Amino acid sequence: MSAIEIRGVSKTFGQHLAVNDVSLQVPEGSIYGFIGPNGSGKTTTIRMIMKIILPDRGDITVLGRRGTAAAHDDVSYLPEERGLYKQMQVRRLLRYYGRLKGKGVKQLEPVIARWLDTLGLAPWADKRIDQLSKGMAQKVQFIAAVVSEPKLLILDEPFSGLDPVNAESLRDAVLDLRRQGTTIVFSTHDMSAAEKLCDRIFMIFKGNKVLDGSLDAIQQQYGHDAVRVRLGGGVQALAGIPGLESVNDHGNFQDVRVPGDPQALLRELVARTTVLQFEITKPSLHDIFIRIARPSADDLRAAGEVA
Amino acid sequence: MQRVLTIAETEFLALVRTKAFIIGILLVPVLMVVFITFMNYAEDHVDTTDRHIAVMDGTNVLYDHLARAAADHNTKAGLGDAKAAPHFLLRKVDLAGRSKEDVTVDLSSQVKDKSLFAFVDLPLDLIDAGEKATYGFYAQTTSARPVTDFVEEAVNEAVAERRFAAAGIDQGLVRRLTARATLTRFGLVERTESGDAVPAREVDDLSRIGVPMFVLVLMFMAVMTGAMHLLNAIIEEKMSKISEVLLGSVTPFQLLAGKLLGVVAVSILLTVVYLVGGIYSLISFGRADLIDPAIIGWFFVFMIAAALMFGAVFLAIGSACSDLKDSQSMVQPAMMLIILAYLASFVVMRAPESALSVGLSFFPTITPFAMMLRLVMPPGPPIWQVAASVALLLAATALVVWAAGRIFRVGLLMQGKPPNLPELLKWIRK
Repeated sequence: MSAIEIRGVSKTFGQHLAVNDVSLQVPEGSIYGFIGPNGSGKTTTIRMIMKIILPDRGDITVLGRRGTAAAHDDVSYLPEERGLYKQMQVRRLLRYYGRLKGKGVKQLEPVIARWLDTLGLAPWADKRIDQLSKGMAQKVQFIAAVVSEPKLLILDEPFSGLDPVNAESLRDAVLDLRRQGTTIVFSTHDMSAAEKLCDRIFMIFKGNKVLDGSLDAIQQQYGHDAVRVRLGGGVQALAGIPGLESVNDHGNFQDVRVPGDPQALLRELVARTTVLQFEITKPSLHDIFIRIARPSADDLRAAGEVA
Repeated sequence: MQRVLTIAETEFLALVRTKAFIIGILLVPVLMVVFITFMNYAEDHVDTTDRHIAVMDGTNVLYDHLARAAADHNTKAGLGDAKAAPHFLLRKVDLAGRSKEDVTVDLSSQVKDKSLFAFVDLPLDLIDAGEKATYGFYAQTTSARPVTDFVEEAVNEAVAERRFAAAGIDQGLVRRLTARATLTRFGLVERTESGDAVPAREVDDLSRIGVPMFVLVLMFMAVMTGAMHLLNAIIEEKMSKISEVLLGSVTPFQLLAGKLLGVVAVSILLTVVYLVGGIYSLISFGRADLIDPAIIGWFFVFMIAAALMFGAVFLAIGSACSDLKDSQSMVQPAMMLIILAYLASFVVMRAPESALSVGLSFFPTITPFAMMLRLVMPPGPPIWQVAASVALLLAATALVVWAAGRIFRVGLLMQGKPPNLPELLKWIRK
């Protein structure tokens, strides 16, 4: 069963088409990665799932409910900007956010205590938010999103700005929630985090769905055209080889995109220099993202004309 | 409804815990009590140190009168522990062949070394100079009120006495003939059902000015405290994206309703504190007759409606702004409504039953202030006018809250340039 089902949804703001005929199914209990450049329609899609705004066309079913009524008590949202009352005490704030989701104080207290303990914030429970470090405030925001024990959790850049230790503890918490059956939609620009955590990836670009599926399937779709090489002659040995789509020089090695037969490239390299490493790799999510979102020559030309 | 109450509770606590509110609601009354206590203390602890005053009497006829006036004053001031005011000990200065300049320099040194408090120079032509008559009072502290008051009164009396005598007119007769009658303001005499006449109540400055001013100021405080808080709070929530988190849990209208209820609760608290203080003061001053439970009831009706109406307007404005700078220009039209109500209140205070006052008290944004003033100022409006104005006010409040809810719904998620009036109207119609 799907936790979220989006069918042919479009949303326009004035003249701007923010989301164009997007359809999507998020399976229950999965971690679904939402990726896309800034302004591509991610937040609009999330706001429509949260019922903060309504689509112009199409419909959205969240946890089996279609209506346009108020946001769902079983859905929680962690926005990228940390929405916390700076003057409020941590425990009061968590209680407030939980109560807004229809939970009673008695029901909330043990959950709040458990989460504060899990994320190492118990000693700070009675401090005001403005007395906490940025990382701590971010963890409080995360607890605020999960304190109502939602069935669907939407996280917008949950790890941005966190140090590796705090990011790790939050990642563990996310995985733990998934193990307990929570469906997680995870919007991020951190492609490696998306690769590690997400069961499925959805990419939106200029309001259109451009990727949707498991990481394997997406990598399959983008083909085995990525080759990692280490050459005796360095990056210069690649100069002038016809048909190379791109060369990404990492110093010690190079990632090369070859639309044609990689074996032909190998033969060419052997003829030119000593080949120390030649590895046909799957394209990373980062590469795929760049390939889709990098402005085309037409875009650049249009931008130049406007300027 | 539970969620609306949760938001209201949080909003209430957020406001009443601010320093501005604590200072406003607690410190101001405390400072007033301290001030009144200090005034009473100052009145009870007058400086009774005797004042030595030298008189250079150029007329040569006024000193005796002044000495008599000082003796009368000293007798009235009392002696020993019963002494309620300083004694004025006068001394006549004889020039004894010295120049006036030498004498005034000498007297000034005596004032400096504290053997003298002040000296008075009454020139030769003081009695005959008419309106141009002037004389000098010299002291280190020329604002020593009790002394200057005494000297002024005594010299004027003495000069007048000499002038009347010179004109051959009996001063006592003139006083009796020109004595002014005092006007006392009363309400109207009523007859009870049993046929007894109920004497009219005296209308003094406290009931004529004090109570209306108190009502007016309290209404403004109760309305503006909540409205300004809402404006700032909603902009902060919007800027920090708290509103987005909240909209994930409640509808925009629930959020608006919760916030409005929260500030109405604050306005009620503020009103109760100040009303209790006001009632206590009236009872302390023996003016319990000015306390009317019906008026207090009406005050709450008008105050709650006004707090809801202005609160909704300020919330809508806040939701349409992306930062505090935007809000400063957006809030101007709403502030004009408040200023208009303020100006209208003075029109009503001057003539509560004039056609203009009656008309103004039916204009919904002015009603809470104008009709309340008319209610506390005699003779008071007919009940149908009060009821009609309340009905109009409640209808307008409902309309404003509805329109604010529509703007709030759209504005809360908008970023960038604040909308203009046509855009706001479009948001309402959407």
